[in-house]
Amino acid sequence: MITYKSKEEINAMQEGGKILSDVLWKVIEKVKPGISEIELDSIAYQLIKKSGAEPAFMRVKGYKHTICTSTNDVVVHGIPGKYILKEGDIIGIDCGVYFKGLNTDMSETVGVGKINPQLEKFLQVGKLALEMAVAEAHLGNRVGHISKTIQEIVEGSSYSVVHNLIGHGVGKELHEDPEIPGILFDNLKSTPILKNGMTLAIEVIYNIGDPQVEYALNDGWTIKTKDKSMSAVFERSVAVGQYEPIILTP
Amino acid sequence: MAHQGSFEVEGIVKESLPNTLFRVELPNGVVVLCHLSGKMRMNFIKILPGDKVRIEMTPYDKSKGRITYRVR
Repeated sequence: MITYKSKEEINAMQEGGKILSDVLWKVIEKVKPGISEIELDSIAYQLIKKSGAEPAFMRVKGYKHTICTSTNDVVVHGIPGKYILKEGDIIGIDCGVYFKGLNTDMSETVGVGKINPQLEKFLQVGKLALEMAVAEAHLGNRVGHISKTIQEIVEGSSYSVVHNLIGHGVGKELHEDPEIPGILFDNLKSTPILKNGMTLAIEVIYNIGDPQVEYALNDGWTIKTKDKSMSAVFERSVAVGQYEPIILTP
Repeated sequence: MAHQGSFEVEGIVKESLPNTLFRVELPNGVVVLCHLSGKMRMNFIKILPGDKVRIEMTPYDKSKGRITYRVR
């Protein structure tokens, strides 16, 4: 069931999204060789608490941290541990904020120190795909337009989109309807149409190598690429607007 | 936090229960409790035991599904 948010709810999500955005970019500034994942997690926790909000991931059943740190071949849901970041790694940081009863979700993948030019290009393609996909979130379009854009840009550079991890609606629950896959499965007309009041978390999850992923460690969360190739994730929460989307997490 | 997408599988209806619930057997032998999707209800499409159907399932609960299509 897709829930449509009122203007007040979208404004509340905009405030929560601004908090999340500030926190995430501050955490990204701290990403340097030598820092550990768990330190980044506690920095994020402190910042969110100071802003008067609550970490959304702590409300997810079974998850006890503020962020997901997905380094190198970890696709998503990496649990922050004692691993110390090295020069040349790429780390995907996923964070969520619960503010005034509504959730917002955001991710960004950055390189640690200096990374080699192929990884630079890999990350730039993802950022571009996210930007173009977000621009499709306006009235008159369908969810399929967003999926198609992500697929075309990522596969156009010979990377692969992960099929079974998807973007989603966001609001009172962290994961709501509709599902926003990174590729267009059926035809465009069978995907939901975008309407006013829809708030979406658009995610670009892609690998350098094959799209197959698996549950790697026995913690029930960490998902890695099957062929051990690098993986990145970019995500923003947006609200569907008339001609262009309202970006809740800038 | 990323969400895992729903997927479709085909199965054969084993028995029909009240309120348009059905037990469907998947090719791997697992039996899943499924309900009829709204679109099929609206168009009055009947399902009987023995029919081959396509169901939509979520990776978060592998014991439930939704019947979305009756295969010929």
